[in-house]
Amino acid sequence: MRFRQISLQNFRNLALVSAEMAGRRHFLTGANGQGKTNFLEAAGLVTALRSFRGADPRTMIAFGQPQADAAFVLEHEQLGESRLTLTLTPKGKAVAWEQTNVARLADVIGKFPTVVLSSNDNQFLRGAPSVRRRWFDLTLAAMDPEYLAALQSYHRALAERNSLLKTHGSPAELAAFEREMAGPAAILVAKRQAGAAELDGFFLAAHARLVPEGETAGLAYVPDEVIASAEQMFASLAQARSRDHLLKTTEHGPHRDDLELGLNGRPAKQYASEGQQRCLVIALRLAQSAYFKAKSGVTPVLLCDDVLGELDPVRRARFWASLDGEPQVIATGTSPPERDGSEWQVFRVAAGAITAGTKSA
Amino acid sequence: MTPALEELQKQLKQLPGIGYRSAERLALHLLVERPERLPGLVAALHEAARSVRRCGRCGNLAEAELCPICADAKRATGQVCVVENVPDLAALERSSAFRGRYHVLHGKLSPIHGVGPDQLNLATLLERVATGEARELILALSNDVEGEATCHYLLECLPKSGVKVMRIGFGLPSGGGVLYADPTTLKSALDGRRDYS
Repeated sequence: MRFRQISLQNFRNLALVSAEMAGRRHFLTGANGQGKTNFLEAAGLVTALRSFRGADPRTMIAFGQPQADAAFVLEHEQLGESRLTLTLTPKGKAVAWEQTNVARLADVIGKFPTVVLSSNDNQFLRGAPSVRRRWFDLTLAAMDPEYLAALQSYHRALAERNSLLKTHGSPAELAAFEREMAGPAAILVAKRQAGAAELDGFFLAAHARLVPEGETAGLAYVPDEVIASAEQMFASLAQARSRDHLLKTTEHGPHRDDLELGLNGRPAKQYASEGQQRCLVIALRLAQSAYFKAKSGVTPVLLCDDVLGELDPVRRARFWASLDGEPQVIATGTSPPERDGSEWQVFRVAAGAITAGTKSA
Repeated sequence: MTPALEELQKQLKQLPGIGYRSAERLALHLLVERPERLPGLVAALHEAARSVRRCGRCGNLAEAELCPICADAKRATGQVCVVENVPDLAALERSSAFRGRYHVLHGKLSPIHGVGPDQLNLATLLERVATGEARELILALSNDVEGEATCHYLLECLPKSGVKVMRIGFGLPSGGGVLYADPTTLKSALDGRRDYS
């Protein structure tokens, strides 16, 4: 997939922007607080119609304006040239695809994949398991509707069970919701096992291309409980009832699963250096991109928010060499990219205005 | 604005689907534009509040001890369709697809929303099974987590023999093809496939 044109109106501090994207490598440069990340955030909306910063749609509308508009012209491997427009109002969002309003947003979600690389990604290593689980869930759910359905059902039934544990519900009531958890839990664990194995292959390959020889990365799924079947999960929940009653919450299950990133066979969280950690999280994002491509046949656009600037020239050169299938990359940074053998289209961002600069080679 | 008008507007605004503007419009319509309608409306509300109650057997709306469906001997087929709410029953009745009787639970289990078995119309359903009036239950609750959990709970409460328990099918809408169905519906439709040979 490739963005050909991005036009924004009243999107955060970007009053009126229209960027013709030539080629596959684009760099937005400018001082802090000028609107570089806002531009990336807008581009990222095409994937799930949500901000990758987790922002409320209302906060994306420029101050004092009734609505924000974003229009995209995209080239898509399967859909050909596509025009997508997105209108954000305080009441919600409206999407038009080829100038026809989209009634069911789910029809668009996931069709236009982007992968965001940001400095926040370091949380994958340092943060709580919930950060890694969220990434894992988003990655698998984007490509598998059955996974998404199981995830939603599991969490809803889990919330109902936890509520029962707090209000001393009867065993029959608990059993009713445990049965609703058990089926989805078994699906989640099986799909996470398969997904982690697949992602591990992409992760290993991406990392090997990114770093000098002698470092081997690995990704492993660490289930809280190894669940082979719905019946086993159901029995396990029934057994845990007395303890869960004391804790007033469900102690075990797929909602406590984790992913472990390793370097040379040891947990990266404890043993990897700052630079090694940075490469690991970039490799994880590239693995996500490769996974999307393998599952959907569409190459995601990489949105790199102030990430490449942190790499040394050798690693940056390796980063470019490591990109499979020539994806489009839109990157931001406070200073223009150094000469690294790739041709950039440079945009200068200042006070919410974006001007196309000359190409740097 | 007078205090009485404000009070009327406040009461109207609390009704489902009525916002501030609609409440104002309704109040002014009744008091200013068409005051002759007011006595009829007041009498209808008063009469409905006095006479409409729950059917002692199935929980449907009734004006006597039993609702018209429970009072109709032709509908004593032994089949009882269990639904969440009265509008669900009304929808099934409109379809004319079912000629047995109903049982309205008035909700589904949802501890988060404070709905437990005591809040549901369950006791009379178990009585209907015990007396043999209900020999086949068709569970027409929604297929979300709470609806399914309510079905599991109900199954646990029912005697192990003497009553057949069926779940309503979930799948493609009539006249609709596979093309426009969402993935969850397609999965339900495939799971609920039947032998055609």
